[in-house]
Amino acid sequence: MPPLELLLQQALNGVMLGVMYALIAVGFTLFFGVLDVIHFSHGDIFMLGAFAGLSALLGLKAAGVAGAALALPLAFAAAMLVTGLVGVAAERVCVKPLARSSPLMTLLATLSLGLVLRESVLIFYPRGADPKPFPQLLPQGGVEVGGVAIRYENLAILAIGFAAMIAVDRIINRTRMGAAIRAVAQDPEAAQMMGVNLDRTVDATFFLGSALAAVAGILSGLYYSEIHFIMGITGGVIGFSAAAIGGLGNVYGAIVGGLLFGVLQTTAAALIPRGSEFRDVVAFAVVMLFLVFKPSGILGEKSVERV
Amino acid sequence: MLELAGVSTRYGAITMLRDVSLEVAPGRIACLLGPNGAGKTTLIRTILGIVTPVAGEIRFEGQRLDRLRTHQIVERGIGVVPEGRRVFPRMTVEENLRMGAFVEWTPADLGERLDRVFALFPRLAERRGQRAATMSGGEQAMLAVGRALMGRPRLLLLDEPSLGLAPVLVEQLFAMVQTINRSGTTVFLVEQNARKTLEIAHHGFLIQKGEIVGRGSAAELAASEIVRHAYLRA
Repeated sequence: MPPLELLLQQALNGVMLGVMYALIAVGFTLFFGVLDVIHFSHGDIFMLGAFAGLSALLGLKAAGVAGAALALPLAFAAAMLVTGLVGVAAERVCVKPLARSSPLMTLLATLSLGLVLRESVLIFYPRGADPKPFPQLLPQGGVEVGGVAIRYENLAILAIGFAAMIAVDRIINRTRMGAAIRAVAQDPEAAQMMGVNLDRTVDATFFLGSALAAVAGILSGLYYSEIHFIMGITGGVIGFSAAAIGGLGNVYGAIVGGLLFGVLQTTAAALIPRGSEFRDVVAFAVVMLFLVFKPSGILGEKSVERV
Repeated sequence: MLELAGVSTRYGAITMLRDVSLEVAPGRIACLLGPNGAGKTTLIRTILGIVTPVAGEIRFEGQRLDRLRTHQIVERGIGVVPEGRRVFPRMTVEENLRMGAFVEWTPADLGERLDRVFALFPRLAERRGQRAATMSGGEQAMLAVGRALMGRPRLLLLDEPSLGLAPVLVEQLFAMVQTINRSGTTVFLVEQNARKTLEIAHHGFLIQKGEIVGRGSAAELAASEIVRHAYLRA
């Protein structure tokens, strides 16, 4: 049994990862909620967000904007705008035209779009095949509390991640557009009978979910200090798994699922011999157990109601 | 108030509505009576732009509705109680009512509108924070009507509101529709329950196999052969 400090340390690291997973998962769950689709290029939208963020930071640096306090918020805004618009375009190209055909077609179309995004970054980003170093803009150093090292950088990532989640919660629960998103998720036709503009609501949902993926992308760059054009594959699978174990369609489920997945990965690494090699095996094994024993997810209701 | 002229709709090769013409008089309760599968719900869905007519015109207060999108149609001042109620199951009673005022979202008189609905349906006030999915059919029916009223509609469309309700609840609901109408809202009530409907309606139409087969005042309809044979036997 590893010492308690190590477990706590790993749990903290897990929450760090989990925040990023949760931000990706919220997108998956929002898209599924409003349109009943799994948007398989969402992982690559996350990757695109990281590259858009990096480009923005490099551009700002070249333009003489050096301080993180200014550069970072601008980079977040730019990357969120880019992925938001790409997400809306993805929905209009890969989802809406296929609304009346088999869900398999949407699956294929979104998978293909993911490939296009990935290959585009590989080809068009300078030396796209190489991992790209990501600027370290967060405060360095840290403190030790009871044997657990807490880095300021990690606290900043947690703060940004949770701020994004709280913002989503506010948008969904307190705004007119959020009410439209919830109404469409529960009954699209009744929503329209109340005056909800379906197309605009779907656009807003894809913008919101994709912008969150950009936040996750930049946080990932800040955390790992590098980004790579294939990062969206794992990011997408994990984000989707997190959304599934949380209960597809439920935003809070996606957040819980993301955090759970991150903690599972890191505690598996601490508890099992050679665990860091097996962390994904353990985490995905738990996902499979969830799919078998609780297929509607932790907070999922939608699929239950459907049966 | 609402006019349909020569409206036909198709679903694939099947004609659902054939040359339907009718008009709902302002300030009145108009009804559309017909058996299951006659095209009643299709007619409502056509008025709401969910089904696009292949021929004909639909006008509301003189302006064309056909070719508009659903949300644009209801924005003109039409409230809907859809078939099967369709309350938002994971929203609370209050959130559902808020959705009824979606078009304006924060009208100055939002509180008054809520109070008015709660006055009509005290049960909804008691259940304000309850999720709609956990309510009984009768309560959901009240919620659906209350929700439609939140938008202060000039025309209220009700699609088989009595379906699945116990007779005593149907009685209450129809009394409520009458109250709503007396306060100035025009009502278009689509029903299978001819007896009860003709008690409150002023005028109406009979539909069979997608065609209007009778029209007139409530008294005329009640006396007509078709209605007496098809609906008022019992």
